[in-house]
Amino acid sequence: MRYRGGPSLTAMQQFVNLKINPICEGIGLVRLGKLTWEFAVQPDPLSRVYSVRIEYRQGDVPQVYVIEPDLAALAEGRRLPHAYDQKPARLCLYLPGTGEWSPAKRISETIVPWTYLWLWYFEEWLASGVWKGGGQHPRLPEKRSRRTMCQEERKCAAPL
Amino acid sequence: MFIDPRLARRSQLAEILESMCEGLELSRSQAGDAEQRYNTVGHWLGDDSELTGAWIYVHGSVALGTTVKPLARAEYDVDLVCHIPHGSPAAQPAALKKLVGDRLKDHDTYARLLEEMRRCWRLNYAGEFHMDITPSVPNPACALGGELVPDKELRRWKPTNPIGYRKLFQQRALLQPAFRLMKTEAYRGAHDANIEPYPARMRIKGLLRRAVQLCKRHRDIYFGAQAELAPLSIIITTLAARSYEWCIRNRVFDDEIDLLVAVLQEMPRSIAFDGNGWTIPNETTQGENFAEKWNLKPELAKAFYAWHHVCVRDLEDLLEIVGRDRLQKSLAEAFGPAAASNAMQPLAERVCSDRVAGRLAVAPGIGLTNTAVVPRSTPVRPNTFFGGP
Repeated sequence: MRYRGGPSLTAMQQFVNLKINPICEGIGLVRLGKLTWEFAVQPDPLSRVYSVRIEYRQGDVPQVYVIEPDLAALAEGRRLPHAYDQKPARLCLYLPGTGEWSPAKRISETIVPWTYLWLWYFEEWLASGVWKGGGQHPRLPEKRSRRTMCQEERKCAAPL
Repeated sequence: MFIDPRLARRSQLAEILESMCEGLELSRSQAGDAEQRYNTVGHWLGDDSELTGAWIYVHGSVALGTTVKPLARAEYDVDLVCHIPHGSPAAQPAALKKLVGDRLKDHDTYARLLEEMRRCWRLNYAGEFHMDITPSVPNPACALGGELVPDKELRRWKPTNPIGYRKLFQQRALLQPAFRLMKTEAYRGAHDANIEPYPARMRIKGLLRRAVQLCKRHRDIYFGAQAELAPLSIIITTLAARSYEWCIRNRVFDDEIDLLVAVLQEMPRSIAFDGNGWTIPNETTQGENFAEKWNLKPELAKAFYAWHHVCVRDLEDLLEIVGRDRLQKSLAEAFGPAAASNAMQPLAERVCSDRVAGRLAVAPGIGLTNTAVVPRSTPVRPNTFFGGP
């Protein structure tokens, strides 16, 4: 299958790229075409160290979970912004359908830096209550109906 | 390549404290306004036939560069001395104070702004600053060129030396610390050759002044409604300045945060207690003891030590805190919420503006950074966080 921006990378190619990039030093495996990669993210020197897991099946979208610490607990009852799931937190890092991410792109150079960015804004949000990272909030009736959204989009579109 | 995370942390923390202090102090334009105003007042006073030759100069925190935004009101204190060079200690302090007051009352604008305080006159520029004008005469007994100012009861003259004090403070502030070349602890050994020096530059401008500002603001928050127990600014300033000199002459430091902590820790070093009384002498004149009140009210000394302990502990704790949100919370508790958010803002804005400009990157060991700063980083490509606000 070809995607915008070139041929799709295999799970193994993604794995190798994750493995060689020093910003996501970690451990993982590829099994039956499914990649799992776990690594630590410290968005900046004053931040916590977060344990993150990426799951990716070739041709699908990468799923990014924050395993530790428990973001929902840190949020003390507030609903996490820009997350598909609250517990464990699954992050909404890019706008689907725009080519910001595609299976032709390296996870290590897109999803990983965005995870740093998300977690950086998350600590900012914990302190101020304001998400300063921008982003889009799907407005349902505009371009596409709820029915044509992917499952991911529908979850994020749920009222906070 | 590794970057020592401890150094990176402390360097950011230094930057945060620097931003906080900048936000607390009288701005350059406010200082300019104040200067213009007191010069004008000075001319008005000096032109009076009875006050001939009198001149005004600024002392206290504005002169030293250690101003801190007051918590309870909008106005900064601008402390002024109206020095009357031909004045004599034989004159009554009250009479001299009255002369200055009368002259101010002769001026329409000053008359409106004027408020009488126990031993000085206050010109109240609402929303900007208070100018407290204290009359002084030369002190013939002081070999260091000191002056005499009225005591609280306006009965006697008290020795002081604001000009000498400022000079000594400035000399001390200029002393340069020795920093040891930091080898990282975490990565010492196996990775030694791979350590990338974290961009090292002084983040705290005028560390002594910043130490004084941090202590003063911490004091204001700590004492809150019990302000009558709070140590005087002159005490904090004197102890910090002497501690700074002592630290620099006797120790070598890892970095400026290390020095800052040491300066705070060593402050009590210059307090003398001889079994009967407390002394924190003004080194620039004879006979002025900044701790005078501690001998009348021993709970003041106790309050000082209690506060000092918490102040040092709070600063030390900042070094260990993990999480920007928790750091901001601790800063807010120690220095006030507005100061804390001012402190965090510039670094946050830099990430946002670097992101917009396409300069943001992730570097190993540092996290988000400016691509210009660190080689071998991964750029953060444009993205749109999806989902609810």
